[in-house]
Amino acid sequence: MKSPLEAAACAVNVGILRTASLFVPARQRMEWRSEWRGELWQARSQTRSKFSWAQEREIAGFCLGAFSDAFCLRQIERKVIDRPVSAAQIPRTRSLPLRVFSVESAWQCLLFLVALVGASYGLARILPGVRAERSLPEVQVRSGLVLIENNNNDDSLTTISSGQFQAWKERKQEFFDGFAFYRVSRERVNLGPVSKGWGVASASSNLFALMGLPVRFSQTDASVDADLPSVILSEDVWKREFGADPRVVGSVVRVGLRRATIAGVAPVAPWQLPGQVDAWILEPDSRDPEKGSGYVVAHLTPSGKSKMDAQQIRITSYSPHRSPDDLLGIRINSAARGPWDAFVFAVLLAFLALPAITSVSFAEESVSLHEISWQRRFCRSGFLAAKIALLLPLLHFAALDLSYGFFPFNVNEALYLQLVVTFFGCLFGMSWVLNDQRRRCPVCLRRVAHPARVGQLSRTFLAWNGTELMCMGGHTLLHVPSLPTSWFGSQRWMILDPSWKFLFAGPVRD
Amino acid sequence: MPRLRIADTKLSHTAAMILQAVDAGFIYGFSIMEMTGLPSGTVYPAMRRLERDELIDSQWERQSIADAEQRPPRKYYKLTGAGRVTLESSRRRYPLLERLIPSEEARRV
Repeated sequence: MKSPLEAAACAVNVGILRTASLFVPARQRMEWRSEWRGELWQARSQTRSKFSWAQEREIAGFCLGAFSDAFCLRQIERKVIDRPVSAAQIPRTRSLPLRVFSVESAWQCLLFLVALVGASYGLARILPGVRAERSLPEVQVRSGLVLIENNNNDDSLTTISSGQFQAWKERKQEFFDGFAFYRVSRERVNLGPVSKGWGVASASSNLFALMGLPVRFSQTDASVDADLPSVILSEDVWKREFGADPRVVGSVVRVGLRRATIAGVAPVAPWQLPGQVDAWILEPDSRDPEKGSGYVVAHLTPSGKSKMDAQQIRITSYSPHRSPDDLLGIRINSAARGPWDAFVFAVLLAFLALPAITSVSFAEESVSLHEISWQRRFCRSGFLAAKIALLLPLLHFAALDLSYGFFPFNVNEALYLQLVVTFFGCLFGMSWVLNDQRRRCPVCLRRVAHPARVGQLSRTFLAWNGTELMCMGGHTLLHVPSLPTSWFGSQRWMILDPSWKFLFAGPVRD
Repeated sequence: MPRLRIADTKLSHTAAMILQAVDAGFIYGFSIMEMTGLPSGTVYPAMRRLERDELIDSQWERQSIADAEQRPPRKYYKLTGAGRVTLESSRRRYPLLERLIPSEEARRV
């Protein structure tokens, strides 16, 4: 009688074997399961005396080996299907296409990449986030804009009061010709029967004009109530709460205790202003100190622009009581960073980091009197270039799919995710491209196969020790040293002449 | 001609050990594992490859024998002709092979 623990362990082992059996080709699965069931019985019978975790761990390790076996069988099955059985059974006219379109062929590799590019591009056309991003107009803020904040390097702290802002605005300025103020607070917004909490920015009525940002669907006709303050919705809220319906413009909502008219939708741009804002309520500036503190956006005059040549500038302002305030002006870049810039930047970074994870050298030797023709060399270089050329659009679209799929209407977070995905994708993708290229026969561009360990590790410095791989078209043998030495530092190709062809099923080309 | 190629096949040390174990009378997977000390993830895939290369052959035990011993039937492996030739050349290549896994006759002596 088995104990409950033993029964559970048995169930786990059987579960492992059944899962592994899913990788076995269907026609061999039943027999494979029978064999492993017998072997498992044998393994358990050795340790039947008493339950112990150490024994169960060993048996589980034994069962996990079934995965290697299953993968091996699958690989063997695939090679049997792909491999021409013998030269006699296959007509000569069929042998060439079979080899060209076999699993390891260069054409299939390129077709596979093309299919991936097509799939990722197709997905990019379907995903709403990517479509929205692509349909955006090129929105750029006006040049010469500066965000003024206290010199504390913390964007989350709003330290400029509305009174201080009003004082600047009324005083004659040499370096600034326009100011706008906004502060963000959490407010309840009534949307018909439901009310929701939004991040609402109470902003100067000239904020969008000062920044040069066009408001979408804005209405200036008589249908808009001029007495009520205007609300500009963020793109995210417009889509999430109003189903991207442009007819929402002109309707009245209650924001906190105020009624306001929806006057348009803010353009989606990588906002470089601090604060998470769902809607902007534009109203005349107030001197009321109760309004609290917020952020100030200012526009530089030509003389101000000439003074500000760096990204940041220190500003000293004097209050009406002549006490100095130490402030920091941070330039708001006019050129907004979009997905393309992020992609180029990430690819550049990945290329710089590539030597850290793989060798970028194609140093190799040929130990044969037979030279490879320049056409073959050209094809090989072209194949490498084609792989890289397909990898880059694949990465671009795949990163867009992922980032704008996860964050459909949040441009900033999508950009960060795109940056990360592109960087790692490019890094490991290029690593694959280079390693794949090193394992391709220089004559037919098929991957070499059947690795065989040759030599002894203990004799590395006395004799050849490494791995031999063979081109299944019978063109080449590849020797890869297990430990690079001064006399055998890089992999070597041995070009096989036609006298080897009797060993291979198909005719040797070249 | 293919037979010549098989005979000349240079086996890895692992594959040669498994071939030697089968020749020495360890004729099912778990017993080969126990004899060689190799893990299951190495032994079974290596046996598949040896079978694919026609160096070993497999056969199911009769159900009546398994029933008599109250256990599931085993799949037994044996060397083929090509397997014997390859094992001979592997023994020349790995001289310690026979000492690591002595054959049935040697064990009896």
